[in-house]
Amino acid sequence: MTEPDQQGQTIRGARRTPTFARLSLYIFAGLLVVAWAYIFGAGDSGFTDLFRSRTWDNAGSFLARMAGLGMEDTPAFLQPEQWWITGALAYETLAMSVLAIGIAGAGAFVTFMFGARTISNGDLGGRPSRVGTALYYVLRIFYAFTRAVPELVWALLIVFFLSPGILPGAVALGIHNLGIVGRLAAEVVEDMDPAPARALRSSGASIFQVFLYAALPQTLPHFITYLLYRWEVVIRTTVVVGFVSAGGLGQEFRLSLSFFHYDQVTLIILWYLTLVLGVDFLSAWLRKMARFD
Amino acid sequence: MRPARLFLESPHFLTLLLLLAVAWSVTNLDWGGPILHTNGWQSALTLLLAGFMPDLSPSFLLVCLRASWQTLAIALTSMTIAVLIGLPLGILASGGLATTDSRFQMPVKVGARFILGALRSIHELVWAVLLVAAIGLSPLAAIIALGLPYAGILGRIYAEFLEDVQGEPLDALRSSGASTVQTLMYGRLPMCLPDLISYTFYRFECSIRSAAILSFVGIRGIGYEIQISLGDLLFGQVWTLLFVLLALVALVDFWSGRVRHSLLTS
Repeated sequence: MTEPDQQGQTIRGARRTPTFARLSLYIFAGLLVVAWAYIFGAGDSGFTDLFRSRTWDNAGSFLARMAGLGMEDTPAFLQPEQWWITGALAYETLAMSVLAIGIAGAGAFVTFMFGARTISNGDLGGRPSRVGTALYYVLRIFYAFTRAVPELVWALLIVFFLSPGILPGAVALGIHNLGIVGRLAAEVVEDMDPAPARALRSSGASIFQVFLYAALPQTLPHFITYLLYRWEVVIRTTVVVGFVSAGGLGQEFRLSLSFFHYDQVTLIILWYLTLVLGVDFLSAWLRKMARFD
Repeated sequence: MRPARLFLESPHFLTLLLLLAVAWSVTNLDWGGPILHTNGWQSALTLLLAGFMPDLSPSFLLVCLRASWQTLAIALTSMTIAVLIGLPLGILASGGLATTDSRFQMPVKVGARFILGALRSIHELVWAVLLVAAIGLSPLAAIIALGLPYAGILGRIYAEFLEDVQGEPLDALRSSGASTVQTLMYGRLPMCLPDLISYTFYRFECSIRSAAILSFVGIRGIGYEIQISLGDLLFGQVWTLLFVLLALVALVDFWSGRVRHSLLTS
């Protein structure tokens, strides 16, 4: 990573050829310049707005209204019953996040074994079969696809056929995370100690017995840890998915914004932060329990 | 012999707890109404089948190409903001600027960590919605919205890398009388630079996905086009855009993987 020094150049007489990483950095820097030029070049970037007093007046009045200043009634976040009403939505949002993790966990749990290369090619005992190999590729492509499509896009597609509520949001979050957790769990199977599986296989165990007695004990702690980590991400995303799936805090957030009820927005963000911090804490505490020794 | 653990501390209890939590979440579903819309299966099937008939007309592919570049440009520019905010905060959060006996070390460290935590607690789209309400709809609002949570993530990881740097070069610098800033500039930063760059590249990959969905507040890009095509019920176009997003992410994934590999092995 160091620049080629002056001495080195004079001795060798030629500049050291840039490594791949260095070349990539140059390309990246070039792309950065082009991107910034594009943002400023293509129409109104919004940058000049920053020097107009009107923008700052708007931003100031937005913040003031979020803080509930200059309102006729008491701001929503100072009314206890409003806390209860929004709290019910936060409860719904929490349920959505847990259900999403449940869907992701269940989907990954039944598939991850077959997504491991070491199973399909017979490294863990057993004979490699065409079906196993095909299953491996299908699952890996499925995982790649589900995780590459963002949660919000899944939600947009799913509300086409599922009734609004927390279910479409949970399914959208679940599918996206299924790809992430499934791949990670499959990789754990690939990296695990092959001896127990081989021993089981050579003494006549079926693939399901191998799953139960070799793969599961070694992968379950990782699996649950990943799920808990993903839960922290999911709870942050529930609000966003709620924008389209009409469940929990997200829908209320969108409605309050479009009705300019900015004091309500503040209350929703306070509940959102409570959920985020609570889940972060809970997940850290539960992950400590996930040591299966 | 391992000491016996209480059932309450055992992993089996955890598994049970998690299963119960999922069961609880299922009870929160609205079981009264129909789960699917009328003709829900029909719509799902139409949507799925369209995946085999993506719209590959040249004019639409051009739309895809433009949308990809718009998404990529938002991702790139927001990464600039993220590094510009994340690196200084990360350095402060690692305590890299303070001398060990400084009275200010703890408050600065805790303060920087708090700011980083606050930045990443809020999802980029929530930032975007708030910023659009505050300063108006513009690419700049999107760039800042994406840059803020990414600054929070980058800063935290940068701080961890900077804190983990140890070894003889640092001791040598210190014993020859280098100040804290000099130790940082000539010791800590260069020593973990490959890690920092590698992690930034990894996050760049994530920022493309995020930039795509940022379109939902009205910023042009892949998500914006997906929304338009969905609204027009042109599912073939939706799938083309999804495949394009997939290809873009895969491309950057491949590139960032190669960069990280060559940085961390050399």
